[in-house]
Amino acid sequence: MVSYHPAGHMHLPRADAIRSRLVDTFSLIEHLQGLSQAVPRHTIRELFDPSRQKKLMLGDQHQLVRFFIKPRHVERITHARRLMSRLRVRCSQRPPLSLWAGWVLEKTGPLFTNFIIFLIFLNTIVLMVEIELLESTNTKLLPLKLTLEVAAWFILLVFLLEELLVLGKAESNHNINPKRMLFKGYFFLMLRQSLIPEVVVLVGVTSQSVWLQLLRICRVLRSLKLFARFRQIRVIILALVRALKTMTFLLMLLLIFFYIFAVAGVYFFEGYTRSTRQDLEYHMFFSDVLNSLVTVFILFTLDHWYALLQDVWKVPEVSRTFSSIYVILWLLLGSIIFRNIIVAMMVTNFQNIRNELNEEMTHLEVQHKAGIFKQQIIQRRQNLSPEAMKSSHSKID
Amino acid sequence: YLPLIQIFDRRKDTELRAFVQRVIAGPLFKIIMISTISMNAFFVVLWTNYKIRFRLFRLFEISEVLFVSIYSTEFCMKVYVDPINYWKDGYNLLDVLIIIIISIPYALRKIKGKHYPYLNIANGMQSLRILKLITYSRGIRTLIIAVGQTAYTVASVLILFFLLMYIFAILGFCLFGAPEMGDQNNWGNLAVAFFTLFSLATVDGWTDLQQELDDRNFVLSRAFTIIFILLASFIFLSMFVGVMIIHTEDSIKKFERDLELERHMILMEEKQVILKRQQEEVSHLMQTQKNVDYKSFSELVENFKKTLQHTDPMVLDDFGTSLPFIDIYLSTLDNQDNTIYKLQELYYEMVHVLRLMLEDLPKKQQSQSLEVAEK
Repeated sequence: MVSYHPAGHMHLPRADAIRSRLVDTFSLIEHLQGLSQAVPRHTIRELFDPSRQKKLMLGDQHQLVRFFIKPRHVERITHARRLMSRLRVRCSQRPPLSLWAGWVLEKTGPLFTNFIIFLIFLNTIVLMVEIELLESTNTKLLPLKLTLEVAAWFILLVFLLEELLVLGKAESNHNINPKRMLFKGYFFLMLRQSLIPEVVVLVGVTSQSVWLQLLRICRVLRSLKLFARFRQIRVIILALVRALKTMTFLLMLLLIFFYIFAVAGVYFFEGYTRSTRQDLEYHMFFSDVLNSLVTVFILFTLDHWYALLQDVWKVPEVSRTFSSIYVILWLLLGSIIFRNIIVAMMVTNFQNIRNELNEEMTHLEVQHKAGIFKQQIIQRRQNLSPEAMKSSHSKID
Repeated sequence: YLPLIQIFDRRKDTELRAFVQRVIAGPLFKIIMISTISMNAFFVVLWTNYKIRFRLFRLFEISEVLFVSIYSTEFCMKVYVDPINYWKDGYNLLDVLIIIIISIPYALRKIKGKHYPYLNIANGMQSLRILKLITYSRGIRTLIIAVGQTAYTVASVLILFFLLMYIFAILGFCLFGAPEMGDQNNWGNLAVAFFTLFSLATVDGWTDLQQELDDRNFVLSRAFTIIFILLASFIFLSMFVGVMIIHTEDSIKKFERDLELERHMILMEEKQVILKRQQEEVSHLMQTQKNVDYKSFSELVENFKKTLQHTDPMVLDDFGTSLPFIDIYLSTLDNQDNTIYKLQELYYEMVHVLRLMLEDLPKKQQSQSLEVAEK
């Protein structure tokens, strides 16, 4: 520990350390300044002890007590116990629904989750068969279609229920994990997408419109729920989200460059846009800002850039040098340099994430082992004969 | 060099300079500048549309005057505050460059007349005004610092690439660009040859170019094209990616290390301040006590020690005073005791067995052994 020592004193690190400990533990400086004769320290147990309490009260009835709280964990407190010991749960007339929701989702164990997974599979199959049979008018298949429809509605209801359960459980948990919120938002979106076609059909809108078809197809997205349950895929999604977050500034810079080249493109190729030649293939590509933006993106993906450039060269009003400088500069900067910077950042991010995860895993493992070791020793001591207890008491005295 | 600094050091308007500096560094100024630049960028976009330009031209003229005045005021204020160090910061140079770019269309119009064909190029460059926003965004600045350190590598790879293209361009021109039978369009002169090769390198539409060469029955064309595509697109551009990955990793690591170091230094400084205060208080105490009672620090501590009792509870947060440690320590001591007892028993056993062995020895040495046993 580096310390400050005035000129003329020798630098004694141990003396400094001991002095700091003294000052910290005994509030030496306050004592030496005469602020307190002896710094009183009481434990909670003493406060509840009647004799000590009397002594305290005899001293000064209006004295202030500063509490110095040190948490002490006897054993590991599980999340469930923590949730159960909240004030809202212990002091309300009726227990909140989130308790039951938590029980259903966790205590029934794999039963509920397996049931949901089975329903997801069933849903996918039902949708597939339904789409196949949608246009057929075979009357013998009518009961089949009916059962399929009923099954689809039933599955939808069960999903809704599960969504409400999860929501209820999460409502009680005020420690909102941003990762979970992401999944929650995603679930809600999907559910809403799958609910809307049903609701609209109920209201009576004709099912021929394109949007409705699209929304029905979105039901297929429900099967994506399945993927979110596997731990590995969750880790990958987490890694992707983190990588995207670190790359926000890069993407912002890329957007700025898109803007610059799009607006400049409109001006640079004014002659090309206004030209009256009939054989120009890409005539409308730089006509206004939106088209120019799309063209800039097309150039970014290196698609038909030489054809575009040769088309521009057909018009004599546009100077060849400036147009080629524009295109080549954008290709170099955007598609070659920027794209590789994005790849490099992704690689670096994934490496970082992998290193962090490994560190976390080893850290957890070490802690776990230390905890087990401690438990073992304490158990062994408690299992010893009373002679050991006698010997330890003699040591304390 | 030296007298110039002395002249500027003797400026008497330090108060005004400090005021202007405070204004520039304040948040209000930042907000004004950011909103101005965003409005400017938006107007530049609107200005591209002829109809809107026609209808709102007065608004555009006024806004243009406003923006130019704001930018020049900012420039003047910053130069006024610190005329010499202003030119050392890259972002200030960017500001100056943008002011020059803004004045180009006006200058061109004055000098070359209203129908100069390259006027739209000068107008197009106005889109660069949005680069001023980078100064106000911390994240993009750090990103540019991190990425900018790879600039040398990028430049060298690009130069190598250009060299490769140059070699192949000359080769291609000689092979395929002959005036009569050759493909005049694509390999006729060096510039077109370069473009053709760049098109091959980015593998976009290269089959059409190859088709043209095939139509003219060139023998070597396929080998040429394939070798160049392998070298340029596969090897060079992939090498580019690899080099960028390594350098980005290095620069990001270095950057994070610098950040960590900075944070560490700030923490150490704070600790120093606290320690310094403690030391000062102690020495102050020693001084006052010396004046009054001629008691030294050790005597004071002795007096303090006398007020402590063995039954006083103390709150300590050492590792050695935590309950698990005490449990483990006591149980280790118990184990030690047990081991010592067991060892003692074993030694008694050993001595007993040896004694029995001695007693069983032949009677000639009985007297000696008895003496030994008695000892």
